Amino acid sequence: MSTKINLAIKKRVVYRSRPHEATGLCTGCRSCELACSLANANVFNPQRARIKIVALGAGIDIPVTCQQCEDPWCQKACYVNAIVKDKKLDIFIVDENKCIGCGNCVGACPYGIILLDPITNKAIKCNLCNGKPACVAICPSHVLEFITDNDISKVNRRRFAAILYNEDNALRPVPSGAERIRLLPDRERRRP
Amino acid sequence: MKQKSSYAGKILSINLSNRDIHVEELDPSFVSLFLGGRGFGSKILYDNVTPNIKPFDEENLIILTPGALVGTGVPAASRTTITTKSPLTEMHGDGHASGTWGASLKYAGYDCLIVKGKAEKPVYILIDDGRVEIRNASHLWGKNTSVTDKLLKEELNDPDISTVCIGPAGERLVRLAAIMHDGSDKGVNARCGVGAVMGSKNLKAIAARGTKDINLHDQEAYKKAYQEYLETIAIDPYVPPATKYGTCRFMYHRVKFGIHGAKNWRYGSFEWEPLDPEVFRSDYQVKASSCPMCPIMCRRDYRIQSGKYAGTVAKLEWECIARSITCGINNPEIVIYFSNLCNQLGLDVEGTGGTIAFAMECYEKGLLGKEDTDGLDLNFGNHEAFLTLTKKIAAREGLGDILAEGCYRASKIIGKGSEKFAIHVKGGEMTAGDPRGMPVRAVSYATSTRGSDHLRSNPYVEELITPEEAEKWFGSKEAADIYKGVKGKGRLLKWSEDFVTIGDILGLCKFAYYRSASFEYLKKKGLQLATKFYNACTGSNLSEEEMFKTGERIFNVEKAYNTREGADRKDDIIPLRFFMEPLIKDKIDENAVVDRGKFNTILEEYYKERGWDVNTGIPTREILERLQLRSIIQDLVKRGKLA
Repeated sequence: MSTKINLAIKKRVVYRSRPHEATGLCTGCRSCELACSLANANVFNPQRARIKIVALGAGIDIPVTCQQCEDPWCQKACYVNAIVKDKKLDIFIVDENKCIGCGNCVGACPYGIILLDPITNKAIKCNLCNGKPACVAICPSHVLEFITDNDISKVNRRRFAAILYNEDNALRPVPSGAERIRLLPDRERRRP
Repeated sequence: MKQKSSYAGKILSINLSNRDIHVEELDPSFVSLFLGGRGFGSKILYDNVTPNIKPFDEENLIILTPGALVGTGVPAASRTTITTKSPLTEMHGDGHASGTWGASLKYAGYDCLIVKGKAEKPVYILIDDGRVEIRNASHLWGKNTSVTDKLLKEELNDPDISTVCIGPAGERLVRLAAIMHDGSDKGVNARCGVGAVMGSKNLKAIAARGTKDINLHDQEAYKKAYQEYLETIAIDPYVPPATKYGTCRFMYHRVKFGIHGAKNWRYGSFEWEPLDPEVFRSDYQVKASSCPMCPIMCRRDYRIQSGKYAGTVAKLEWECIARSITCGINNPEIVIYFSNLCNQLGLDVEGTGGTIAFAMECYEKGLLGKEDTDGLDLNFGNHEAFLTLTKKIAAREGLGDILAEGCYRASKIIGKGSEKFAIHVKGGEMTAGDPRGMPVRAVSYATSTRGSDHLRSNPYVEELITPEEAEKWFGSKEAADIYKGVKGKGRLLKWSEDFVTIGDILGLCKFAYYRSASFEYLKKKGLQLATKFYNACTGSNLSEEEMFKTGERIFNVEKAYNTREGADRKDDIIPLRFFMEPLIKDKIDENAVVDRGKFNTILEEYYKERGWDVNTGIPTREILERLQLRSIIQDLVKRGKLA
């Protein structure tokens, strides 16, 4: 009877970079990986973390975690219906009692972020730590955010506006004494 | 059930000669005395590498030990120590670096890796979760570090595997060679020629990965300490510039005190403006990056956008800038290129820069002519010659073959009085800033156990403390006076040496724990919180005094090692230049030389504080007894070094 209003409520962990700040990009410290494994498995083991830092080389590090899809492929791929909806957070989580560790979901995930735990051999995926993600809490450069989809669009819009401003500003002479918003030295990177 | 602890619990030893792979359990009594990291490395080296073994012998060991807290989430706990008998100093030698390799070794189930013997052909070691293989590395031999890393990752089909490797310099036994983590843009175990020892074993690389857990003993205490650490760095005025500029910020410190040591340690002033940290930040910085687990983020990726060296990428650290200044270079692009070049070739920037500066002074004084330098015009500040000579050192070509021995040995080969231009302590090239005018810093270089080293101690404490604090902690108000103070400095030096050793044992970064804008925060981070983290992770119940005593114990093990090698008080000396020649500053002042009287007074006070013999500088039986080093007493007595 009620219409679906998930889009505005559902929160997920996103990488929100602020390229105009000195420490506004992921520094690749991997604190989030260990915070995740500590929160979910009570040990330090990056192989059991549900967030991963991908090092692309030349100093570029990007955190990747579950996108919390509405209609996830991992769930479709599961033979035993072990990936179930969590009502409170409105996301899909793995029911460890049902999971048989076949790894079918791992191959199905287009983001490569549902994994098999090397110790328990069951599937693990981001469960948002019951609404208080440990990775977001620990990130020293504050580039991880726990945010709704609607707010992501706001963030992206702001970033786009800042880029527009900078492109525009780069063409103008800088008034003396004024603090200039710094351009990223590597300009190609901002353009897809 | 076994107690939950962050130790992996095993030592892996690999003999490359007979391909023997041996795993043994970690002995709890050994752990309780030496904790990990530099502690394990120093003791294992003492027990196994005796004076009759030369650095490049098969019997010499490379001991790779992640600090005790590496692999846990403790902030900035990422440092791995590589200990060996140094080819530069022929004494205790070690290099420290951050990176993911140490943690990977622990996830694979080992707290320590010992490599001995010599492979017949180039090999690399793969440690894969308890499976250890010695594999052929002929295809990697001769390759640059970044290429080696890339090929290894492709071969093992795992972009996330951690590697350490040597470059062409290490393969050719260049005594300035370093060991690189994950190719060319992560940590570097640079000092003491550790890379050359790895090369002498025909060992190109070690790759490690693992899936085992590192346990945490007390989660509540860990989280509390973590919170306390974050609160401390949040109010520490030291942190914001570190996060803003990275290690380039030391330029401001250097300029303030006028201790550049430019042109082979002769000039205190220098045209440093092109190397302003602000220039690096605005013109070359790509992004901030950091070592594993670090909330300070003082590493920086720099990239040259245009010009002759366009496209060069380097993670530049302060010492690279400092050593370029020693060679009279003040072009930021050359500095970035030099950093990248050394990293690709597997060279130590400090040793290489210092040695090139030595050659430049020999050239200036006419001891080396154009015929010796293969036509290179080795004037101070000559970019081309600077970079070409770096390549020649790694390739051991021409003059590079002589300089590859390090400045101390090169001066013996060149002769003609060039010894006085070789600025080294115990054979290791001089590091950091010029000690002239600051007597305790001069002594700190001399007493370091691995040759010249500014990170073996932390005499910078004298800049932080108030006279009252100095009186309370070091027994004299004078200890707070940088230039004139003498009394209390010996105790300050001993204190700071033991203090920073704790960091090396636990694997904590010196910038994150052992630098601060106030003495109070420094003690809190480096001792209180380090002990709290250690207890929370391992379940031990160490008091702060015991932790401090552990630092003292490790330092004494290293000193005993050097004593056994024949070093004594006469080796605890800095180059004559610092005593004789005034530092040339904009205005000459009284502080322009190291006063020999002050130097000796501080050194004697230091020996007394340490409980060592004042005349010989050798540890006494009482101090070794107190530090529970009985096996070392027996060994030294047997060799006639101890009464």
